[in-house]
Amino acid sequence: MKNVIVLFVMIFGISFASNAQKASAKTEEVTFQTSAKCGMCKMRLEKDMSLAKGVKEAKLDLDSKKMTIAFNPKKTNKKKLQKAIAKIGYDADELVCDKTAHDALPGCCQKSASAHIE
Amino acid sequence: MTKSIITFIFLFLFFGGKAQKIAGKVVNSKNETLLGVTIYWKGKINQAVVSDFDGAFSINRNTNDKLLIYTYLGQKDSLEVYESETILLSLKENTQELSEVVVSSKATVIDRLSPIHTEIITSKTLAKAACCNLSESFETNGSVTVSYSDAVTGAKQIQLLGLSGLYVQTNFENMPLVRGLAVPFGLNYTPGTWVQSIDLAKGVGSVLNGYENMVGTINVELKKPDQSERKLINGYVNSFGRLEYNGNFTKKLNKNWGTTFLSHASGMISKIDNNADGFLDLPKYGQINVLNRWKYTSDKISFQVGAKMLYDERVGGQSGFKSRTETPLFYGFTNKTIRPEGFLKIAKLFPNAPYRGLGFIVNAVHHNSKSYFGFKPYNGVENTFYSNLIYQSIIGNSNHTFKTGLSFMWDNFDEKYGGFILKRNEAVPGAYFEYAYNNLGKTILVLGLRDDYHNLYGNKISPRIHFKQDIGLNQTLRLSAGTGFRVSNPLADYYGNLVSSRTVQFLDKILPEQSSTFGGSYAIDLKKLNLNVEAYHTEFKNQLIADTEHSNYLYFYNLEGKSFTNSFLAEMNYKIASGFDLKMAYRWVESKQTQGKPFDEKVLMDKMFLAKDRILFNVAYALPYEKWKFDLTVQYNGRRRIADSKSQLDHSSYQSIKAIYAPNFANVNAQVSKNYTYFEWYLGGENLNNYKQKDPIIAANDPFGTKFDAGMVWGPVTGAMIYSGFRYKLK
Repeated sequence: MKNVIVLFVMIFGISFASNAQKASAKTEEVTFQTSAKCGMCKMRLEKDMSLAKGVKEAKLDLDSKKMTIAFNPKKTNKKKLQKAIAKIGYDADELVCDKTAHDALPGCCQKSASAHIE
Repeated sequence: MTKSIITFIFLFLFFGGKAQKIAGKVVNSKNETLLGVTIYWKGKINQAVVSDFDGAFSINRNTNDKLLIYTYLGQKDSLEVYESETILLSLKENTQELSEVVVSSKATVIDRLSPIHTEIITSKTLAKAACCNLSESFETNGSVTVSYSDAVTGAKQIQLLGLSGLYVQTNFENMPLVRGLAVPFGLNYTPGTWVQSIDLAKGVGSVLNGYENMVGTINVELKKPDQSERKLINGYVNSFGRLEYNGNFTKKLNKNWGTTFLSHASGMISKIDNNADGFLDLPKYGQINVLNRWKYTSDKISFQVGAKMLYDERVGGQSGFKSRTETPLFYGFTNKTIRPEGFLKIAKLFPNAPYRGLGFIVNAVHHNSKSYFGFKPYNGVENTFYSNLIYQSIIGNSNHTFKTGLSFMWDNFDEKYGGFILKRNEAVPGAYFEYAYNNLGKTILVLGLRDDYHNLYGNKISPRIHFKQDIGLNQTLRLSAGTGFRVSNPLADYYGNLVSSRTVQFLDKILPEQSSTFGGSYAIDLKKLNLNVEAYHTEFKNQLIADTEHSNYLYFYNLEGKSFTNSFLAEMNYKIASGFDLKMAYRWVESKQTQGKPFDEKVLMDKMFLAKDRILFNVAYALPYEKWKFDLTVQYNGRRRIADSKSQLDHSSYQSIKAIYAPNFANVNAQVSKNYTYFEWYLGGENLNNYKQKDPIIAANDPFGTKFDAGMVWGPVTGAMIYSGFRYKLK
């Protein structure tokens, strides 16, 4: 019984340690022009990209539709991040979005939707 | 009934000094403006505004206001408003989507708008523990307890408000789920990955769902074409040797059509006997379960058609047991269940009168279960047909609404247990009417009445009343009262007791169980803290007593005298910091029933196997976007009365039966999960403190003798268990 608890404490510890490690690692930044449309797009992109491997922080500026990503270069690179955005269903710079993912987005988030900000 | 009018809300935000003002317009899918939609920020229902003739509204907003809720004639939805952006959202008027949004900040959500005290358990809450199936979905819930019904079959039973799950109506999408012969293993037949959300309503339910929701209603919403991920693959393995696969696949074919295919395969591949009593702690089993649903949606009509198929086979008992012919000296338990099922749901929509709705549900099930307890066979076949026609509209204006309809249940049972033959054919047409007075969602009064004509037991009237009142900004009082009934299937209902050498004796002709329940709850919902207290009282007019006080018999007889249950629950959810939640719950129950028919006595006794006290403690910590998630649950169960199995002499009077108690015990569960964009991995443990009931099977060394009994379980049979799994999601 005690062993099991010790095991769990260890797992908790390791995961925190690995987080701490991430924080101390060198961070690079990259910006992509995306085809985001609205607040829902922002929520989706920020959530999905924050959870992508090696990403420290992901922010989308709704005025310019530019996404800025802080990442650990040891775990990922610009190409992979660009592909990750396309896989969610959005254009990233010159890379066109994954069609299936794009078509599964709600109507207001698709490229055909008119600009929401008048 | 699914409402699928797509409503668009246009929001135009602008700043007006310090307090921000939001103006917007509500229209339906035809771009027609909606008048009389109530709109408010979550927790500020007293500052609600109503849309005017042009569908326009404006509402003040403070920085803390994020979730905008709007309700329209009993339909409700919400959307999260961010910063000062102009946004356009398309929303479906469906309660499930509401729960998905609301739950984003808290672990337990009480549906604030519902007049019935309803907790919404979402797929997010379900992910706190590896919920392989419905029986494990209540692990972090303060009011529901789940336990094994015996030490051999792996069958599970739930308990709510101090009463057995038999008195709780467990439905999926308002169609029968754990009912009739599906009672023993029904909870194991709904894979957790299939579940979209679970509504847990306490106290007597609405008349819409029939007469069987005597003390509560559990309604499980499964994944649907318009809400599911395109692909969800789940794999699971635990240290006992249980393997699971779940695959959900959804495809939208065009604007109108969508389909979802849900699949499940699982099995227990190893033999475990941790307590070394010669019996497997859990049976070996294999299950294949699939569901395919098609959904059509348009402005005027929406319908769903689906089919389910289940195959489940289990082998338990002594570890040396292979089959009755190969190893006749070993006690074996076997069960084979086949359950094909089909359903159809139609909703007629009135785009010009959105308050009006017409719905029709049809469900047909064939359930075939073959069991052996040692050499005693128990075979049961049940054919069920259920249909419900619901119409809703308003009386004058939207403050007064009503729902009315007709239902029909046809249920055919054919059971054989050893020499007993139980055959029954039920045909129950019913009619109901429910009136609701709704004052901006603040005051809701629901009066319901249903009348069912049972072909075997005659006319039964079930009145129900529900009342909700919001007090001030964030307090809610709910009260409910009503009656209900059900017809017991004793062998299925007390399946676990059949794994014994007890002789089954029916002392009476079985009569329907009838009860009345009243109670209420008081909830305080603050920004970081919510408190909730509830109290309910149930009294039986008639109950089927399953008397296990005599070690050699299982007596069934109708209640003569009193039977009542009182329950109390206090629950607190506290948000310590963002992503850091704490939950504590204390539950107290008292349940007494009159027993003694075998000796012509009437003695009011404590119900067996029911812990008076229970404490639940849950702490959850998550990093932003749940990159990492940690969850720890501790449950404490107080002592409970159990059968006196030690004294070898049979009792001569119920007065002299000594109260024997099982010790109290605690359980520790924990889970860690790591989230990626499309992938989630989890590792967890159950019963980490490794608490086991000592000798859960009485006379395990002599299973064919007269004292053998595996139905006297009060605690965990299996020890500590570690599990791990993954979910792969493509939205």
